[in-house]
Amino acid sequence: MEESMTTSQGGESDMECSDNEFYDYYNSNDDIDIEQIDPRNIDPEYFEYNCLLEEQVDRLLNETVETLSNNLQIPPSLAKVLLHSNQWNINEVTKKFNDNSTQTLIAARIEPDAPPSSLLLTRLSSYVYCSVCATLQHFENFHNLSCAHMFCNECWTMHFEVQINQGISTGIACMARDCIVLAPEDFVLKHLQRPNMREKYQQFSFQDYVKSHPFLRFCPGPNCSIVVHSKDIKAKRATCNQCKTIFCFKCGCDYHAPTDCHVIKKWLTKCADDSETANYISAHTKDCPKCHICIEKNGGCNHMQCYNCKHDFCWMCLGDWKSHGSEYYECSRYRENPNIAHESVHAQAREALKKYLHYYERWENHSKSLKLEEQTLEKLRSRINQNVMSGLGTWIDWQYLFTAANLLAKCRYTLQYTYPYAYYMEGGSRKELFEYQQAQLEAEIENLSWKIERAETTNRGDLENQMDIAEKRRTTLLKDFLDE
Amino acid sequence: MANIAAQRIKREFKEVIKSEEVAKCAIKLELLNDSYTELKGEIAGPPDTPYEGGNFVLEIRVPETYPFNPPKVRFITKIWHPNISSVTGAICLDILKDQWAAAMTLRTVLLSLQALLSAAEPDDPQDAVVARQYKENLEMFKLTAKHWTNVYAGGPFVNSDCDDKIKRLIDMGIEEHQARVALSSYNWVLERATEQLFS
Repeated sequence: MEESMTTSQGGESDMECSDNEFYDYYNSNDDIDIEQIDPRNIDPEYFEYNCLLEEQVDRLLNETVETLSNNLQIPPSLAKVLLHSNQWNINEVTKKFNDNSTQTLIAARIEPDAPPSSLLLTRLSSYVYCSVCATLQHFENFHNLSCAHMFCNECWTMHFEVQINQGISTGIACMARDCIVLAPEDFVLKHLQRPNMREKYQQFSFQDYVKSHPFLRFCPGPNCSIVVHSKDIKAKRATCNQCKTIFCFKCGCDYHAPTDCHVIKKWLTKCADDSETANYISAHTKDCPKCHICIEKNGGCNHMQCYNCKHDFCWMCLGDWKSHGSEYYECSRYRENPNIAHESVHAQAREALKKYLHYYERWENHSKSLKLEEQTLEKLRSRINQNVMSGLGTWIDWQYLFTAANLLAKCRYTLQYTYPYAYYMEGGSRKELFEYQQAQLEAEIENLSWKIERAETTNRGDLENQMDIAEKRRTTLLKDFLDE
Repeated sequence: MANIAAQRIKREFKEVIKSEEVAKCAIKLELLNDSYTELKGEIAGPPDTPYEGGNFVLEIRVPETYPFNPPKVRFITKIWHPNISSVTGAICLDILKDQWAAAMTLRTVLLSLQALLSAAEPDDPQDAVVARQYKENLEMFKLTAKHWTNVYAGGPFVNSDCDDKIKRLIDMGIEEHQARVALSSYNWVLERATEQLFS
């Protein structure tokens, strides 16, 4: 299945491979070891996938259908129904079919579970009564599925058109009462003449096939028809090569490592329900803890410096920044009240709300920071432009700043998604380890953000060092907590 | 399309008129216009149910895409049943939704509705209040359904206790049906119904 558009993604670690020639020249045993390391082991986000066009997906599906059709000696349209109802697992279908072909065909709704009744015998001479349109018509004008329920061609056409207009395609059943036998593709297409109906049918069934295939996932980007293919069904990051949308391969929603698919869903539902309260409580401005002047946050960095009194503090906990920078960075951690079990129901509810708000505020805050840092990037761009115009270095010289800003966005994104994970995590040593690593990551990200916002006065080596540290912290956290 | 619909209804109408159910007065079908798009159905409450002796009127609208889409049916007669809205008469029944088959007829629909009156499905409710009462207090449900059958569908069962409580609320200036709904929803506890009505 090697396609021309294959874009195998290996994350940052791929960069080492591009320098192969260089390494070969200075061949030493150590370097060989590095090259032989499987990217799966060093990069927790490593994920192999292809971005496919509609035609390529069609080809992929048809190949499977053909193989099964040849193996079992059944028509391709039936092979397609069998595969569709068995998550496209060709080995399992073949095994089931060889064990008990009748049962397999019944389960896939290709054959009726009871032998067809004697409907065929109600024929009077060469004319048959169609029970749907209530008319008598010539026998030749009738068709039936494996269940032997006969209806006239006009009624079949009408039935299919009505169903297709309701968005139903692979799930269209026979018109008889209590009959669940499905109409296979060739039977439907035989009765559809109008080109737009045929097109609609094929489009809807294509969607059904992709959705039922565990290795395929539609790109969720608006108006994007790319389908991502991977044999590794995991909650990993996929990037569409056409619209550049980044999403989780397993659930198709926004990428959410280290949180699980079902946990992030729970979290987002909760946030949607509770957002009013939370919005009310987390205001957009805060007062400086020292001189109490009102401060609006207009940058992504959480290391604040009051413009009035020059006091350095943390936007999140309003604590002195000094303690964040050096010793312990702990404002990401939620401290549970140890005596809560003995408190009243009311106090427990308040504590639950407090806990939720703690995580929600941080989740929201990083989301806002991400947006604000986009603005910082824009400002950076125009400043670099000015620099280049006035002869201060070339575009290439300033590229490292963009790389830094992109890395910052990536790190902050992961950090944002660590909060739902921590919220649902049960207390204990694992949670403590997680929150410790989360705090470490957060501290390095704020350092990086601070340095990027003051790019002109920051030394390049210093910045690149900070980038390296932040990314290492991020990878360490993912390695320990992703995919357990 | 409309052509097939009219053709089918004409044919079905004849079929129902001749059927044995009509002969036994269990179901009835009446045309309301010449274009065969609006009909009135009637079903008798099945024996050994709280609906026994009642006569329930249904509104039937035939869509242009009939019989490829199901007819739209609702109860005109007010009824106390977990799968039928006590407010609008809307029905929750699979064959009127995704389990409809083009080969089904109005006769099958009427007979299925009659069967629904005999066998409610409280786990798939249309009216949550009724369904809760059905599951938590079946006797109270039966009493209420019988009372509604008596008042709205001409059933024989008269419950003077219910009538008295409703009259008490009417005396306080509450409209009769509103009073009945409040009392039915609160298991005929007068105090709770009053509290709900005046809060």
